[in-house]
Amino acid sequence: MSISDDSGALDYELARRQAGAEPIRLPPLRFIAAAVVAVALAVSIYLVGRHGDPAPQLQLSLILGAAFGFVLQRARFCFFCIWKDWLDRSDPRGLLGILTALAVGLAGYTLIYGAWLPDPSGMRLPPTAHIGPVGPALLLAGLAFGAGMAISGSCISAHLYRLGEGSPTSPFALVGAGFGFVLGFLSWNELYLLTISESPVLWLPRQLGYGGALLAGFAVFGALAWWLLRAGRPSEEGAANKAQLDPVAAIFLRRWPAWLGGLFVGLIGVAAYLRLSPLGVTAELGSRSRQLATQFDWLPARLEGLDSFRGCATLIRDALLTPNGLFIAGLVAAAFAAALAAGEFKPRRPTGGHALRGLVGGALLGWGTVFGLGCTVGTLLSGISAGAVSGWVFALGLIVGMTATLKLGRRLGLLD
Amino acid sequence: MSVLSLIRHGVVVLAASLALGGAALAQTGPLVSTEWLEKNLNDPKVRIVEVSVEPGIYERGHIPGAQNIAWHTDLVETVSRDIAGPEKFQALARKLGVDKDVTVVLYGDNNNWFAAWGAWVFDIYGLRDNVKLLDGGRKKWELEKRPVATNPVPVKASSFTVSEPNKALRARLTDVVATVEKKSEARVLDIRSPDEFSGKIIAPAGFQELALRAGHIPGSVNVPWARAVNQADGTLKSPEELKKLYAEVGIDGSKPVITSCRIGERSSHTWFILSRVLGYQAANYDGSWTEYGNVVGLPISNPAGTIWGGK
Repeated sequence: MSISDDSGALDYELARRQAGAEPIRLPPLRFIAAAVVAVALAVSIYLVGRHGDPAPQLQLSLILGAAFGFVLQRARFCFFCIWKDWLDRSDPRGLLGILTALAVGLAGYTLIYGAWLPDPSGMRLPPTAHIGPVGPALLLAGLAFGAGMAISGSCISAHLYRLGEGSPTSPFALVGAGFGFVLGFLSWNELYLLTISESPVLWLPRQLGYGGALLAGFAVFGALAWWLLRAGRPSEEGAANKAQLDPVAAIFLRRWPAWLGGLFVGLIGVAAYLRLSPLGVTAELGSRSRQLATQFDWLPARLEGLDSFRGCATLIRDALLTPNGLFIAGLVAAAFAAALAAGEFKPRRPTGGHALRGLVGGALLGWGTVFGLGCTVGTLLSGISAGAVSGWVFALGLIVGMTATLKLGRRLGLLD
Repeated sequence: MSVLSLIRHGVVVLAASLALGGAALAQTGPLVSTEWLEKNLNDPKVRIVEVSVEPGIYERGHIPGAQNIAWHTDLVETVSRDIAGPEKFQALARKLGVDKDVTVVLYGDNNNWFAAWGAWVFDIYGLRDNVKLLDGGRKKWELEKRPVATNPVPVKASSFTVSEPNKALRARLTDVVATVEKKSEARVLDIRSPDEFSGKIIAPAGFQELALRAGHIPGSVNVPWARAVNQADGTLKSPEELKKLYAEVGIDGSKPVITSCRIGERSSHTWFILSRVLGYQAANYDGSWTEYGNVVGLPISNPAGTIWGGK
């Protein structure tokens, strides 16, 4: 039986080609529906600003979440789809978009660090930056997370924006991730005592200085970009470019070029770090799963050391509205509005295959997130931007896990 | 006091007030107001230092020109569970440009808990009357919509020389045991919540650093720290109200007081009130319940009868 998900990665390549040929039209009904969602989001932002506690933080979380969701949906900033584009079609554009986000993030973080912690050589780490322990558990987390991406068709951030596109897999993947979190918490103490407690927390600016870490990062990004451009197949963007002259269509209807998405993702990441906390999409999901599991008495009374690490904290919070919860709400709502406007909201009745792939893949995503102390956003993007070695190691594990699972799944006829 | 000496005293006080001017008058006490601080932000002889609990809060916006102290690394010896040693403190004070002729204003989040703890450590090393707390701390400053900044302002290092630690300000286990054995006339004031004091719980939910036993030091009295604070803006209650509050449990300044809590940090908030605002003889017991409650064989009072966290 094939449990392939044909929507897990919508065939954007096809959509992109078609878009180039179609005349631009804004169906009024679609646009009105999108406008209604956008207005509802705006009203929520206003209300949170008036009644939230602490209002400025909660309101800004909602705003940045909405910006992030809009950008992710418009640019199709989905790490797994981007990787598949490269594996299957040697299309380097998505990966170049990720490199853009990382370069902007690294430059922005370095700029902020200069003000917050002028001397990086001491014992201190920059406040709240996602700099995690580096060891075998982190690599394992990357592998599991990568496998979960291949099976469920997305990482957690992409499942969230896909929720706004009406994906039949994403709801199951997010529920699966909840279970994965619980499995992660259940295995935390063993792995912590076995390896994590002795894993060093490595921060590149401490060894290389800010200038050195920035240059080293740029050198790696530059080398990767050069290689991608050489090894990749040239894309056919000519037709699409001509049609993008209409700014409304370019923003709301057409898929954004990946580099533009990457630029905005990087900027939102820097803004979030400056004003709130490093970008991440799993803190709320993790802490709600932990809260639920604690209520059922499933978890050990103490998770050794877990809450002392930097990353997407899963500490249980009693508040109804949390910054990360609102960030996620804004992300999903704005992705929904963007998908509606672009005609990419295509809800479908989920099949057994969708559910199975979502739950199994999601569980791996959740487990990987606990040990990676974040996901593609919280650990890879916010970590590499922060100059953390943990971000790079997680990325490595993730690429290997994703590729191996995809190839194996295809050979067995389970994945497409 | 004769009539003549009263008059003489009055004249001296009046002359001193006129000479010092308004600004200096406002900072003669242990507290400064947010209004005073905003007017004196650019005074080179005023050094503002934030001591907050939450990491990253200083960096994302602080009172313009304020320096930062990370209490859990800068003000302690992390391995030996002790306050920062004289050399470490001297290096920190010099780096912050702090000296005896500089008015130091400490403030922070959470009702100045750790700012007060900072004031206690500063006091131990000889910086007392020139160290003030910003009344209301971060909370009041933000409530009043006063400006914050994120850019660092470099300060010129000072050549401060640390004094011998003032042991009278710090209570050790033996001092507390002496009160239990009635060999000392000091009173222990426990500022934890009523449920911790009665032994219903060992510590509030979420705290990992615990004692094995529940209850309190025999003979100690309980006034939760928050009762000294106006909840609306985080300012301290008036000295009259504070006097009354502590007099209710028999603490009136006639005998030395030892303040205590779970790990000794919140109790410095109450220590500041007793020692600096009311002028009582007070020492802070930084070992607190995590030390006392864990010592084998020491008597405790445990009205709730909780044993090993249960009944």
